[in-house]
Amino acid sequence: MSESETYLNRASRCVEKAVRLGAEWCDVAAGSSRDIAVTIEKSGIKAADAGQGESVAIRAYVRGGMGYAAVSGSEPRDVDEAVERAVALAKEATPDPDFRSLPSPQPAEEVEGLFDDTVAGMNVEDVVKIAAANIQAGLALESDVKLSGQVVLAVSEGALASSAGVALEKRGTMIEAAIEATLRRDDDTGYFYDFDFGCHLADCELDKVAEAAVAGARRFLGARRIGSARRTLVLGPLAAYSLIGALVAAADAESIQRGRSYLCDKLGESIASEHLTIVDDGLIRRGLRSGAHDGEGTRRRCLTVIERGTLASLLHNSYTAGKAGTESTGHGTHSGGISPTNLVPALGEKCAADILKEVTEGIYLEAGSIRADPASGDISASIDFGFYVKNGEIQSPVESAMLGASIFDLLKNLDAVSSDARVEPGLLMPTLRIHDVQIAGTE
Amino acid sequence: MEDLARRLCDQATRRGARFADVRILYRTADSILVQDTRADKLATASDRGIGVRVLVGRCWGFASADSLNPRRAEQCLDDALALAKASARFVSDPAMIAEVEPIQAEDRFEPEIPAAAIGLKEKIARLLEYERAGRGAGGSAVVNSIVRYSDGRREELLVNTAGACIRTDTGRAVCTCMIVASDGRILQRGVENRGIVGGAELLERTDPDEFSVRAANKALGLLKAKPAPAGRFTVIFHPSITGLLVHEALGHNAEADAVWASESILEGRLGDELAAPGVSIYDDSTLPGEFGSFAYDSEGTPGRRRPIIENGRLVGFLHSLETAAKFHTDPTGSARAESYDCRPIPRMTNTFMAPGDVPFGQMLRGVERGIYLEDGHWGYVFVQKGQFICHAGRAHMIEKGKIGEPLRDVSIASMTLDTLKNIDAVGADFEMKMPGMCGKDGQSAPTDCGGPHVRVRDVVVGGQAGLLPVGGDAE
Repeated sequence: MSESETYLNRASRCVEKAVRLGAEWCDVAAGSSRDIAVTIEKSGIKAADAGQGESVAIRAYVRGGMGYAAVSGSEPRDVDEAVERAVALAKEATPDPDFRSLPSPQPAEEVEGLFDDTVAGMNVEDVVKIAAANIQAGLALESDVKLSGQVVLAVSEGALASSAGVALEKRGTMIEAAIEATLRRDDDTGYFYDFDFGCHLADCELDKVAEAAVAGARRFLGARRIGSARRTLVLGPLAAYSLIGALVAAADAESIQRGRSYLCDKLGESIASEHLTIVDDGLIRRGLRSGAHDGEGTRRRCLTVIERGTLASLLHNSYTAGKAGTESTGHGTHSGGISPTNLVPALGEKCAADILKEVTEGIYLEAGSIRADPASGDISASIDFGFYVKNGEIQSPVESAMLGASIFDLLKNLDAVSSDARVEPGLLMPTLRIHDVQIAGTE
Repeated sequence: MEDLARRLCDQATRRGARFADVRILYRTADSILVQDTRADKLATASDRGIGVRVLVGRCWGFASADSLNPRRAEQCLDDALALAKASARFVSDPAMIAEVEPIQAEDRFEPEIPAAAIGLKEKIARLLEYERAGRGAGGSAVVNSIVRYSDGRREELLVNTAGACIRTDTGRAVCTCMIVASDGRILQRGVENRGIVGGAELLERTDPDEFSVRAANKALGLLKAKPAPAGRFTVIFHPSITGLLVHEALGHNAEADAVWASESILEGRLGDELAAPGVSIYDDSTLPGEFGSFAYDSEGTPGRRRPIIENGRLVGFLHSLETAAKFHTDPTGSARAESYDCRPIPRMTNTFMAPGDVPFGQMLRGVERGIYLEDGHWGYVFVQKGQFICHAGRAHMIEKGKIGEPLRDVSIASMTLDTLKNIDAVGADFEMKMPGMCGKDGQSAPTDCGGPHVRVRDVVVGGQAGLLPVGGDAE
């Protein structure tokens, strides 16, 4: 960026030009990012990468039809062409009577802690040190472990301006270590991964990630096949968060308004057991998905999406809110989508260990994706990182097993949420227990 | 631009790099979203930039910028050299590079119909026609319809210190239709994808009956389908599921960086019989018009047909210049980079199982009770464990050698090596219609996959309906 032009200036200039060209509504996001990534392979450092770039994205509306143009770099000619293209596309798009307006300016206090000078000031040697510390720690636990993964640092700044008067600036930092560990013992393989991340270096224990991954790989040695049965399923923090994340993402109002979501007609209805309450909170200090405003400039808020099993709210952007005659919940993305922020489930009364102790026979799923078909809500998922549980004790990892269910059956059979949880910046990940789940095995 | 790239390579050599390459890339894509009878969102995107990769001593450094300004480009070289040096102390597996011919080449793909030759209005009209046909076939059951179309070009210049200078210009077009239908109780969706290396001829070639009408019929069929049973079955894979098997279960394991890193289950197995006799699997980037095809990879190695398994035996991996050097073999033209800001890594292109000689009817007759899996949707693999999952949009029971009642939304999970060994019939037919974007290490690459119908014993199916008694499943 030239010294004389801030990103807000650039975005505002594009908005003015778009309006001059005939856009009835327009917003522009302009910004830059800088990243460093150190790649670990075969328990050593494989490569170090660095990148930096600027981008401008223009969204223009004519009679509700949307034209969108994104361009990398900062060449004025490229940016001007992108503005012209966005407006030309908006004029060609089919008018959309459901479009009402882009958000008006909504002053809000900045969320604290989204930028860390320490992270922003780190150089490649600092990132290499974190990677090297992980390699050393992993090898100290198992000298023959194969570690791979990345340590990544990203620094971004940007602005949003709109024809409705929105003028916002923001900046952020993020640092993450993600490590995979593979242990081979004769014909047996133990594999696991772990990660840690945050906006602030002080919120992370980046040096400990490999140790956790190696410990996980050890636990997954000796996998056995199991028979098929209906069993209790205990979802560890990572697996539970995957399920919760997919569920809240399905509360996207556009999918529901369009009639393609399994959550259609469920607002205000009971969709889960009373144990489940989930709050989406984009205002958490230092939260990884926090921000004072969403990608359209709507003020974020704390939103209870599921309250004691009832679908209490949908996630709206300005388009879906206008169509529904309600207010945006602040979940809009600049490209026109809808996205959850930090999810905070209400905790239960028993700790995870006690929840597991009560299981006579079941599966403990430490990690893995349980995704429902977005239309039908059917789930047919692999038990990727699961353990067989007998009389409250973890017995052995399981191999080649699957679960099949309707998302609603799983949610209705949820009978416990733990009182303890894995905590990442902005995210709370408790353990969940679900009874009577169909598990298919090969034994 | 060529002068700039050559100058950077020369500087890299003078400053101690054993190898360097410079990629300058420009790409554009235009897209149209038609939804519920309206062309809702029209979009365009473009990016250009430079990526400089250096091998200094034992380590790689890579830096990129979104500008072709010579000063920024030279800064990239400075950064890449510094990055490599900063990491050198912690390298346990020294980087290597294969010796290659100094290829000078230019490959300009000319689509039958350039994307710009058909105006936006005409493209929108064609997509609305697809949508109308799909909605018409689905009738009042249709609750949502989406047709997406995108076409784009990618121009790339590669120069390296081995003397290569290659210019490529490739176009790709994709079209997707999703029809969601409801019977008042449940929702189901049917999806169809088309993708080619080419341009707007995709619109000329796409017949609504074979595209949006088929998607609508899938959705309607699924409304009548029952939840799949759970348990262990003999399963017949439709070519789309065979494609997922060869891509997810085998192909990712055959990417040589995973093998070298001791993460693949194929490490140390070259030459072993890993699949049933009659099973041959290839990756081939030379197939004209297929979505994963290209002339040269992102390191300048010509594309080729790459045998992975021939008649059951593991015969090769997918190599970059680096992995080829480490395995003392030839590069296979498998190194792909999504954009200028990504390092090239070994990837698949068009991956498929070669047809055998078993007619579908004969394959069916051998199954007393099993499942016919169709409509491959998605899959993933843990190469370290050799465990994969494939998701089918629909399926049918097989009862006494005949196709039975329809089933919905079913996945299978298995171990790669078990599944390859448990193939007991390879069909005489062939289809490769699974264009998509494959993800690895944060990068996307256009790929396709397919094969014939195959029959596999002992596959775990994760359905919702009643469990079969243990061991009481198939045949």
